[in-house]
Amino acid sequence: MTYIIISDIRIRKTTACVLCIMALSLAACLLAMPKKEFSENENRYLAQFPRLTSKTALSGEYTESLADWLADHFPMRDFFMGLKSSAEIMCGRREINHIYVAKDDYLIESYAKPQNTERIIDTLSAFYKKVKDKNADVSLMLVPTAVTICSDKLPNFAPLSNQIETARKIYDKTGIPAVDCTKKLLAAASESQVYYRTDHHWTTFGAYCGYAAYCEKKGIVPVPIDSLEANIATDEFAGTLYSKVNDYSHKKDKIVLYTNPADKLTVTYPDTGVATDSLYNMEYLAKKDKYSLFLDNVHPLVEIENSAADSENVLMLIKDSYANSIVPFLARHYKKIYVFDTRHYKKGPSSFLEEHSEVSDVLILYNMNTLDNDSGIRGIY
Amino acid sequence: MVFSCIPFVFFFLPLCLLLYYAVPFSWKNGILLIFSLIFYAWGEPLYILLMLFSTLLDYTNGRLMERFGTTKFKRTFFLCCSMCINLLVLAFFKYADFAISLINVAFGTSIAMPGIHLPVGISFYTFQTMSYIIDLYRKEVEAERSYASYLAYVSMFPQLVAGPIVRFSDIRGQLHDRKITADEIEKGLMRFMMGLFKKVLLANQVGALWEEVLILSAADTSIATAWLGALCFTLQLYLDFSAYSDMAIGMGRMLGFKYNENFRYPLIAVSVTDFWRRWHISLSTWFRDYVYIPLGGNRKHVARHLLNIAVVWFLTGLWHGASWNFILWGIYYGILLALEKYAWGKAVASLPRLVQHIYAFLIVVFGFVIFAITDLQALGEYIRRMFCFGSNNIADGRFVWYLQNYGLAVAISCVISCPIYPWICQKLSNMDGKARLAASAVAGAGVILMFILSTSYMVSDTYNPFLYFRF
Repeated sequence: MTYIIISDIRIRKTTACVLCIMALSLAACLLAMPKKEFSENENRYLAQFPRLTSKTALSGEYTESLADWLADHFPMRDFFMGLKSSAEIMCGRREINHIYVAKDDYLIESYAKPQNTERIIDTLSAFYKKVKDKNADVSLMLVPTAVTICSDKLPNFAPLSNQIETARKIYDKTGIPAVDCTKKLLAAASESQVYYRTDHHWTTFGAYCGYAAYCEKKGIVPVPIDSLEANIATDEFAGTLYSKVNDYSHKKDKIVLYTNPADKLTVTYPDTGVATDSLYNMEYLAKKDKYSLFLDNVHPLVEIENSAADSENVLMLIKDSYANSIVPFLARHYKKIYVFDTRHYKKGPSSFLEEHSEVSDVLILYNMNTLDNDSGIRGIY
Repeated sequence: MVFSCIPFVFFFLPLCLLLYYAVPFSWKNGILLIFSLIFYAWGEPLYILLMLFSTLLDYTNGRLMERFGTTKFKRTFFLCCSMCINLLVLAFFKYADFAISLINVAFGTSIAMPGIHLPVGISFYTFQTMSYIIDLYRKEVEAERSYASYLAYVSMFPQLVAGPIVRFSDIRGQLHDRKITADEIEKGLMRFMMGLFKKVLLANQVGALWEEVLILSAADTSIATAWLGALCFTLQLYLDFSAYSDMAIGMGRMLGFKYNENFRYPLIAVSVTDFWRRWHISLSTWFRDYVYIPLGGNRKHVARHLLNIAVVWFLTGLWHGASWNFILWGIYYGILLALEKYAWGKAVASLPRLVQHIYAFLIVVFGFVIFAITDLQALGEYIRRMFCFGSNNIADGRFVWYLQNYGLAVAISCVISCPIYPWICQKLSNMDGKARLAASAVAGAGVILMFILSTSYMVSDTYNPFLYFRF
């Protein structure tokens, strides 16, 4: 009996010692190990060691930043974050960081009740009022996201807010001619993948559906997808949703690139002065953030010329990142496309239109999820 | 600083303990004091002056009372001095905005609110220092000679910001003489871990569900969802608060102090009276000893007893926060306690045990809804959702969704809120030989795994995704 009591105490003491050693060695590693500046997995810059000033010290800001720094540079951070997500999914959680862990390995961003619809309508209406008397033909495409198109893949009983209703309201109230790609996307989604499983963007095939809807509206004959050259750029794409959920066992995505051999392109980025002949920057394939290969990620303005285009028309494309993968299809039909990222383009696209009378078409393209919380929409007018 | 964060668990606590164990006994209080001040200054760099002032005031008054308090009148003078200043400070920092808003409503004035932010732990440490001066007045303790020791008592980091409210009389002896043994350290560490797991792995999860339910629109809230939300808030509040007490008691043990228990499984109470013997014990006994009994308690006639109950529960409500809903919550309990005493207490006690549990539990859950929602209009709206049969669904898809997402966390929280842990320990101690060893080994491995899991929650918690910025 005494023997057993002694071993019982020994087990307890061993447990306590293991806990202490774990805590101390993690703390020591945190201090001793070299620090990363950027987290590939989370796709963000990690906190920097805070600077001590009397102001930050007295307001408590310093200690707060110090706590952030400690958490950001914690040893095996990726492992710990993955562990948390796996544990939550195992416990039945099907929504993590506002991402649904859906069926067929899909991660689908939830759609929160829109807060800014009225403001968006005002901005778009103001823009439309200003430009509708010009020569250019304006249209608006609001792309529903996977939560609407792939709603059959959502976990059972997942609460839904209606994107279609919001989009309809915006189309009606602004009066801008609508390009509704919902039907085409829904039809295509039953057969193939129109959204990435790990990213909030549509796939290039999804973008093709959007392009087809646009052509239908404009009376353009779309290029059949079979006549384009398809290449798999990567099958290792782990997108934004993957990073937010942190379930590192999740299946990754393919990115397929379509090119039309007939096109003769010149792509100019005025902010950096770079000019190339490709819509894709393949250097991003080596990074985590692979969707950025479309139109080289973020630029306030991109100019695309196609000397082999099938018309003399000029397009102004005002858009968010969804449009970056539709541009390769549109390029066929426009001699020149001006692509505006209104988060960064500050001079106002309407004055640009006034100065460029050769513009024949204007397409405003946003996805329904970023529309509501993106600062870019304010840059339209 | 909160206990369940990386700076505390991996740096502050280990460093403090290592130094504390390394130095000779006469230095230990000094180490404790320095670390406590750092702990407080971590979150409240400026208000630390307020705490220093408050303790200095009571320390000085204590010394003066002992030195010059030859007559009852003089002693009363020093007591009043200390009490008035303490209560004024508390009133100013905690209740000024509330009082001004009342004045503005009553007289139609528009006095600007000072917008003072509440110094962390002020309600707790003010009550600790007041208990000292009152005990001194009653000659139940002797005055503390050393300001450093007195400050160490008030500011001791395990109990500084969220209790338990430790009385000077309970701790005085230990302040100058205590034993620190390996066995106590091990037990204290385990208690701390239990608190950490409760807070990080359970309280935060059920709390997240409550927050989700709270912001739903009326149409999206079925009756079942409203009750699930209320249950989750009850569980969150209990687990969160008792976890803090667990961690405080555990750290106290590691440092050689014995604090009294602050919670005794309040959610399994059999009556409202029973609930208050189990919930936040250090606060309810404080009000009992320093307000209720001095007022005469239940030893006078019925009307006076009712008045005493009313005063104590009004104050208990008010102590929790400067807002009407807390006062309502206090009065709610005052009325129920009076009713149990004079109307149906005996009848309830004769009911089957299970019915008694359900009776008390429903009262507690409903009470915490009043506690949870400070805005009275929103509170009324939420209560309507809980009882509004007919216009809303009894249950809907969203309720099932919540059950799927949080059901397990809620279920485990419910189990942990029952005295399951003491029951297991009891069973283990009755086991013999190898079975017991195996159980200990499993428990040890379990604690280590839970610690790894809790670490992962603490690491991920500060991760504040703003991914669109770069995509």
